[in-house]
Amino acid sequence: MTTTRRTLLAGAALAASFALSPAFAQGQTEIELFFPVPVDGQLARDMATLLKEFNEKNPSIKATPVYTGSYDETLIKTRAAMKAGKPPAAVIMSANFLLDLKIEGEIQPMDALIKADGKTNDQFMGQFFDALHGNAVLDRQVYGVPFHNSTPLLYVNTDHLKEAGLDPDKLPANWEELVTTAKKLTRRDGDRVTRWGMMMPSNYDYGGWILQALTHSNGGQWFNVDYGGEVYYDTPSMLGALTFWSDLVSKHKVHPAGVQAGGAVSSAFLSGQASMMLLSTGSLTHIRTNAKFPYKVAFVPKNVKNEVPIGGASLVIPTGVEGERRKAAWTLINWMTSPEKSGWWSRATGYFAPNKAAYDTAEMKAFIEKNPDAGIAVSQLAFAKPWFATYRTVPVRKAIEDELAAVLSAKKTPKEALVAAQKQADEIMRPYVEQTALKLPTN
Amino acid sequence: MSQASTGVATGEVSPKLGYAATLLVAALWMVPFLWMLVAAFNPESIGAGMASLVPSYIPTLANFREAWASADFPRYGLNTTIISLGILAVQVVTITLAGYAFARLEFPGRTLCFYLFLLQLMLAPVVLIVPNLTTIARLGLYDTLLGVMAPYFVSAFGTFLMRQAFRAIPRELEDAALIDGAGVFQRIGFIYLPLARPSLVAFSIVSVTAHWNEFLWPLMVINSPDLRPLTVGLASFTRGAEGAQAWGVIAAGTLLVSAPLLLAFALFQRAFVNSFVSSGIK
Amino acid sequence: MAQAVFTAGRTSAWSAPRWRPRQASVLAFALLAPSLLFLALFTYWPVAQVLWQSMHGQIRVGGPQAYVGLDNFQKLLADAAFRKALVNNLVYALGTVIPSLVLALGFAMALVKTTRVNALFRALFFLPVLIPLVAAASIFLFLFLPNVGLIDYHLAKLAISGPNWLGDPDIALWSIMALTIWKNAGYYMLFFLAGLQAVPADAYEAAILDGAGPWQRLRYVTLPYLKPTIGFVLVIGLLNVVTQVDHVFVLTKGGPSDSTNLLLFYVYQQAVENYDAGRAAAGTLVMLALLLVVTASSLRTLERSFGEKEP
Repeated sequence: MTTTRRTLLAGAALAASFALSPAFAQGQTEIELFFPVPVDGQLARDMATLLKEFNEKNPSIKATPVYTGSYDETLIKTRAAMKAGKPPAAVIMSANFLLDLKIEGEIQPMDALIKADGKTNDQFMGQFFDALHGNAVLDRQVYGVPFHNSTPLLYVNTDHLKEAGLDPDKLPANWEELVTTAKKLTRRDGDRVTRWGMMMPSNYDYGGWILQALTHSNGGQWFNVDYGGEVYYDTPSMLGALTFWSDLVSKHKVHPAGVQAGGAVSSAFLSGQASMMLLSTGSLTHIRTNAKFPYKVAFVPKNVKNEVPIGGASLVIPTGVEGERRKAAWTLINWMTSPEKSGWWSRATGYFAPNKAAYDTAEMKAFIEKNPDAGIAVSQLAFAKPWFATYRTVPVRKAIEDELAAVLSAKKTPKEALVAAQKQADEIMRPYVEQTALKLPTN
Repeated sequence: MSQASTGVATGEVSPKLGYAATLLVAALWMVPFLWMLVAAFNPESIGAGMASLVPSYIPTLANFREAWASADFPRYGLNTTIISLGILAVQVVTITLAGYAFARLEFPGRTLCFYLFLLQLMLAPVVLIVPNLTTIARLGLYDTLLGVMAPYFVSAFGTFLMRQAFRAIPRELEDAALIDGAGVFQRIGFIYLPLARPSLVAFSIVSVTAHWNEFLWPLMVINSPDLRPLTVGLASFTRGAEGAQAWGVIAAGTLLVSAPLLLAFALFQRAFVNSFVSSGIK
Repeated sequence: MAQAVFTAGRTSAWSAPRWRPRQASVLAFALLAPSLLFLALFTYWPVAQVLWQSMHGQIRVGGPQAYVGLDNFQKLLADAAFRKALVNNLVYALGTVIPSLVLALGFAMALVKTTRVNALFRALFFLPVLIPLVAAASIFLFLFLPNVGLIDYHLAKLAISGPNWLGDPDIALWSIMALTIWKNAGYYMLFFLAGLQAVPADAYEAAILDGAGPWQRLRYVTLPYLKPTIGFVLVIGLLNVVTQVDHVFVLTKGGPSDSTNLLLFYVYQQAVENYDAGRAAAGTLVMLALLLVVTASSLRTLERSFGEKEP
């Protein structure tokens, strides 16, 4: 009797689940894509458009875009979802978190999927710009597929150049020129500055990246590209970079003191309160749409050489995504990083299309013809290096960003700051270092 | 009573001066709201003019349209409503039952129970955000509205409030019902609850306000865009990775999110003020 | 209304049990069961988990959780960011609760007379209480924006250049505190408005006859009567400053240089950014201990407010 009842109940429940889940009825694989939005609400809509098209073209898959905030928050959300046993099928992850995720065993290599498509890793990665390989290929395995990328870029209000009697076609190319130009552009009313010559963002996440750009321009390196347990904070090249930034504030007085958030920097630039800024190429579309004055962009000025880090994000597949879901994720990833889609997203956002072939499409050629600033941004890729990525990237990054904030507020000298940052970073990475580079045979 | 503020001024600072100072501070207090209004209807959204508190433009709804299109506000509003009212619905049951037990029943361990409840006042779920997230995940409630609600289903504060209200009700009423053969739930439902209505209303307003405005906990629990409450939706405007902010749109979005409660307050000012006074702890 | 709440405990004492004890106990626990279940799930069990977690951590990188003894606490205390958060929270607590309290009392005393105008002003002070903290933070983000923002724009008209409100390690915490005071003072005002109703009018009359000035009346008449209210507001205020960090999340993320890092945000950071569950748990325990101290030291106030004990 009870058995019958239970069976009946179970049957009813099963029937209900059939009725309630159209996905099951249609045999669709449901996957979610976690994505951060780098600029504004418009991009969330663009992403929805992109995935809608994907779902129409691939009726057996139903991909849902899940907007997860900033890069840092996307990492947090992904980890929380994995802990809850619900890993998303694919994530657009900040490119410098991949190493950390690999060390913790949270993302899976894509080698088998690439092989199943009849390609070698080199052939697969060959479609992307060389500068992007370092953050995606770890230990010779492919862990991420570059989706959109950026580098820092110098933005200059050319109206202000003219006002100051400078040639609007000649933008500062090195630190010397940057300082002299910024001095001429800075406007004062007594002691009060009414317009800043130069601004650079220094909030968490952005500050480290900009400092890395200055360090590379100064001939230096931020971290050991081949090993996640070393950063080069306390080095002459970084000391030069940090001192340069600090001098812009305290000595030349052309850059405001204290931490400036990315949004504050672009707001100041767009409202004419800052004449030059270093900001991501990812902001190009935003600036292009909202600037009511002519502006130009240029490479990040150099001291020793032209070199910048990449930024942006790659598509990853978390550990625990298996079977049909993994296949569906792979289909989505390949579709999103194809030359056409990659190019479309690039034009919508200002980010690079990582896929080199995107720049051979007719739409892209026409776009760059019309917007030469986008072309300059891409050409800087030839001088790009991997973004810093270590064991526990975020706290290791925070270690120097906190010191950077202290220097920009004249609380510490650059040298003191770098020594402290190095010590802090070494302390954070110690467990990893002890279990890798310092783990030696005992007998 | 009124003597306090109108008494003869013989001291160092005249009460009139104090009154004037208060009005001055009130003006200052209004500035953020004023800016929100002025900026929200500004045809511009970025640029130098955004800081003006005097509107020098023809008002437009463009920022609202942009905000409305960037985020699914009706959906978020619905989620927030479900969360706030869902929590309240369960709370009303739990606090009534527990409140009655504390108010009218003598049982061993009652003082201990009182302190067990009191403990919740400081162990707010947000303080225990990390372990609570684990619990929610284990219960299979991660990324569900129920997961956002569950930790708030019991309220020590509400229990104490109900207990006091119940204790103010004459015992004779219950005794009469007891003689008529009313069961405990009937007595609670037909005698205690109607008479404790003011306290229940007070608690409801405070509870809904608190959960309507909550941010960090739903941010951690919810992933799906369809399940996002208003506060989490709003935060997406203000935080971008590498970009800039459209201030007019932010102001419009903030206004949209705050409007329901502000409107409710405008309509039921007295009830709101009374509730908050009698509440103490959210 | 408020009066009812504050005095209910005093007027009616516990009555003698009327039912047979056993039956009553069964009923009582049946009625308490739903609440106790949720308390167990979301209050006591998490505390147990935190206790367990605080003594566990990763020994091998990427490996499972293992017993590490008091390691997490040692690391916690050695972490400058934690010590900073602790000090910040103390400064933040004193720097927001006391000014809010003074302002709230001032507002309440000025607006105690019920007139239409006063009702409007009370409502104005109360408005910030109703909007979400993250909404308030997104408005203040613009207020504090350097150069272009509301404050700097208007200062510039007076030819003053403001400091970097959220970007200067010396200023940022104070900016955050200003937001907190703006948000909470109106809330506390309500309690004082209610408390002032309890001051008998003849007490003032007598004081005036004795020739007491406003300051003396405040000192010898108003404040003594408001003592329970002050105590109560103090406790709520202290609990608020520990449990609310939404604005830090939106405005500064604890920066620059941890100058606005508060305990709860630190715990959040350790758990989700640094991925160090053990240290997060140890931090939570320290926070709980502090909350316990606050609550325990004000237990009498709470008990009185909730009518458990006679004053």
